[in-house]
Amino acid sequence: MDSVTWKIGGEAGFGIMASGTMLCRTFSRAGYHVMATNDYPSLIRGGHNFITVRIATEEFASMNRDVHILVALNYESVEKHKEELMDGSLVIFDPKDGEWKEGDFQKKVKLLPVPFREIVGKFTADPVMRNTVALGVTVALLGAPFERLSSVITDQFKKKGEEVVKQNLTIAKAGYDFPSEKSFVLGPSKKKERLLVINGSEAVGVGAVRAGLKFAAIYPMTPINALITFLADHAKNLKLVYKQPEDEIAGINMAVGASIAGVRSMVATSGGGFALMVEGLSFAGVVEAPLVIDMGMRVGPATGMPTYTEQGELQFVIHAGHGEFPRIILAPSDIGEAYSLTVDAFNLADRYQVPVFVLTDKYLNESQWSLPQSALSGSVEIDRGKLFSSDSKNSNGEFKRYSLDVSDGISPRSFPGMKKGLYHADSYEHDEVGHVTEDTSMRTKMSLKRLKKLEAMKKDMKAPKIVGDSEAEITFVSWGSSKGPILEAMKLLAAKGKKTRLIHFSWLFPFPAEEATKLLSPVTRLIDVEQNATGQLASLIREHTGILIKEKILKFDGRPFYPEEIVEKL
Amino acid sequence: MSTVTPDSLKTNFLPTWCPGCGDFGIWMALRDALANLRIGSDDGLIVYGIGCHGNMHDWVNMYAIRALHGRTLPVAQGAKLVNHKLPVVIISGDGDCLGEGGNHFIHAAKRNPDLTVFIHNNEVYGLTTGQASPTAQAGFKTKSTPEGAVDEPVNPLTLAIASGATFVARGFAGDMQGLSALMKTAIEHKGFSVVDILQPCVTFDKVHTYQWYRQRVYKLETIPENKIKALEKAMEWGDRIPLGVFYKENKPTSEDRESALADKPLVDLPLTIENLEGLLNEFY
Repeated sequence: MDSVTWKIGGEAGFGIMASGTMLCRTFSRAGYHVMATNDYPSLIRGGHNFITVRIATEEFASMNRDVHILVALNYESVEKHKEELMDGSLVIFDPKDGEWKEGDFQKKVKLLPVPFREIVGKFTADPVMRNTVALGVTVALLGAPFERLSSVITDQFKKKGEEVVKQNLTIAKAGYDFPSEKSFVLGPSKKKERLLVINGSEAVGVGAVRAGLKFAAIYPMTPINALITFLADHAKNLKLVYKQPEDEIAGINMAVGASIAGVRSMVATSGGGFALMVEGLSFAGVVEAPLVIDMGMRVGPATGMPTYTEQGELQFVIHAGHGEFPRIILAPSDIGEAYSLTVDAFNLADRYQVPVFVLTDKYLNESQWSLPQSALSGSVEIDRGKLFSSDSKNSNGEFKRYSLDVSDGISPRSFPGMKKGLYHADSYEHDEVGHVTEDTSMRTKMSLKRLKKLEAMKKDMKAPKIVGDSEAEITFVSWGSSKGPILEAMKLLAAKGKKTRLIHFSWLFPFPAEEATKLLSPVTRLIDVEQNATGQLASLIREHTGILIKEKILKFDGRPFYPEEIVEKL
Repeated sequence: MSTVTPDSLKTNFLPTWCPGCGDFGIWMALRDALANLRIGSDDGLIVYGIGCHGNMHDWVNMYAIRALHGRTLPVAQGAKLVNHKLPVVIISGDGDCLGEGGNHFIHAAKRNPDLTVFIHNNEVYGLTTGQASPTAQAGFKTKSTPEGAVDEPVNPLTLAIASGATFVARGFAGDMQGLSALMKTAIEHKGFSVVDILQPCVTFDKVHTYQWYRQRVYKLETIPENKIKALEKAMEWGDRIPLGVFYKENKPTSEDRESALADKPLVDLPLTIENLEGLLNEFY
């Protein structure tokens, strides 16, 4: 086998998520490419939770729909996922949950009853550890040595003490010894370099701290909570402050205060939290404070489906904020970009003194992906933009923080406490020093000064990425995390002899209108693929290029695209 | 080094407050207190809210942020955490701090950042031409309460004490010298200091005039010894209105509790990571 998809389901609190992580690491450490996506309701105990792990010998871009191995830790896990099984899939369940026969399934599946409860019962009274048995069984089936799993388990439980490690190892071994034969044995990996397993939020976190983040104020909200954990865990050793604010309004205002005071600062939230930040965004806009906003989209409107994914906020973040002011919007398309675009975001924020969005989503943030360590450890260039220096001479002793004498609209900034750098960061319209003004000429000039940056930014904005065949009969158009499933769909189509191409936008705003027009206008069949109900990228393209994309594949049921679905919808 | 005087902390702009506005007294007292503390134009940061009080922004010559309405405290906390050596003072109003920013006030008090907030309390929204503010006494007639305010007022002092502020005081805009001394003590206190300042609005409040206050205010001789006694004093209102320090306590500040700030302010730290390998290892 060169790719295996494994799914484990059970109630919340069964350690489902942890088992996905451990399975990923067991294989990534041996050089396999892995990915795990979770699916869980918004509650802490009970409900139906599952995590899907794909393990492959070669790099791949997204999860797929067809499941090779289904591990059910309860009755629902078999019933809910029956239809995702293929001929030859293996269903692993505890006979105590149900007495399924092969005839109970549409496809010709194989059944492997494993007495999870009985095995765990031999060692402990805690039935939660059934997931550890399942891990042992899985690793054995896939033909990997036990030592790979045991090293991961040891690292995972080290903090909880030797006893816990020992118990988990014993139970995993009992699971490992259970299957009498292997199935879905993976071919050898093409190990080239050290692979890490990281989720989108953590990749944003690594990008932020590598870019020199010093202050973050983040109110908890799915799907960016892993970023909070990462920053809070490292606040001490990395010498940064993570502050949990009373609400998102406080969060963004703290971050703007921190930015004005002189450090790189950020907030992170989802749609509902960002709705509260909108006022503060406008504040950052008028005082020209650099700010990075990690906006992790989930299903709306309102509380929506909090733990499910969507790309519904593109038009929201473009238009958010009262008044007119510039901003930059970047949407990472994969785990590597979650890191690299976050680094870019901090540099762009400082260079242009504007809010910069890193527009992520639940699928990207909470899924785990393997990534070469080198992707996160390369050198990082830090550009803090135009800064005031205490030595620089000012005419008549006044520092013009908002100097109009700049062709690109970007004037140097000082930080409170700097000698001779005195200025006022005023939320009112203001003059060059920062004093309030209602003068017609000053207002017009100041507004134009800020908006001039939109022109200046264009030189930094990257063109859409093109993947595939220039002779293609179909050209997909997408943004953000939809890229992965499209790339995988393109592979499936290529296998059927269909030539396709993808034009993908990671740099969304200011919208690269000229590039987009050049790329899109000659194409005869364009298909817009987005995870929202209205085709927000297609609207943006129409607005800026006049090009109307008639065909759309839209999904907004909260679940990420499967490549197979895209193929079927053509 | 030039000396700091109340005049050196003045800009060239002329205040636009109504003649006789209580804000004049607060403006003078603030500059006097800052000058006494030798905090010069480049040495400190003042965060202003939106309201008549916030217009002071253009008349004090010191690093300033004029935040959005109600948002002074989060902005000030962010700035203070970044540069905890920098004196940060907040000029806010009853509507700004207790209405729009009420939640921020409670949480700032709970965290005890080393900030000082001066609340210009005149019971009305002056800038929007005279609606009732959160501190308006029940029965107080304003443009938004023609039959008299139906709700009970917020008491800034009891709210501050109960929420965890470590220095809580009340001053009077009509007593410039007394107010200046109180402001100085408040700024010197290490922790979250709240000074409620009774401020006559000569245009929209014909009840709470300078004379009305002068007939009622008196100075506390000593600081009440605990929170309960402080709350009792803070609830005194009517024929006699106490001024002075109601509560004072020394506790670690928000900044003291951040281990990243143990050495230098964040703004002075390098941006590079020392042990990247160790950081990435947790994802292996």
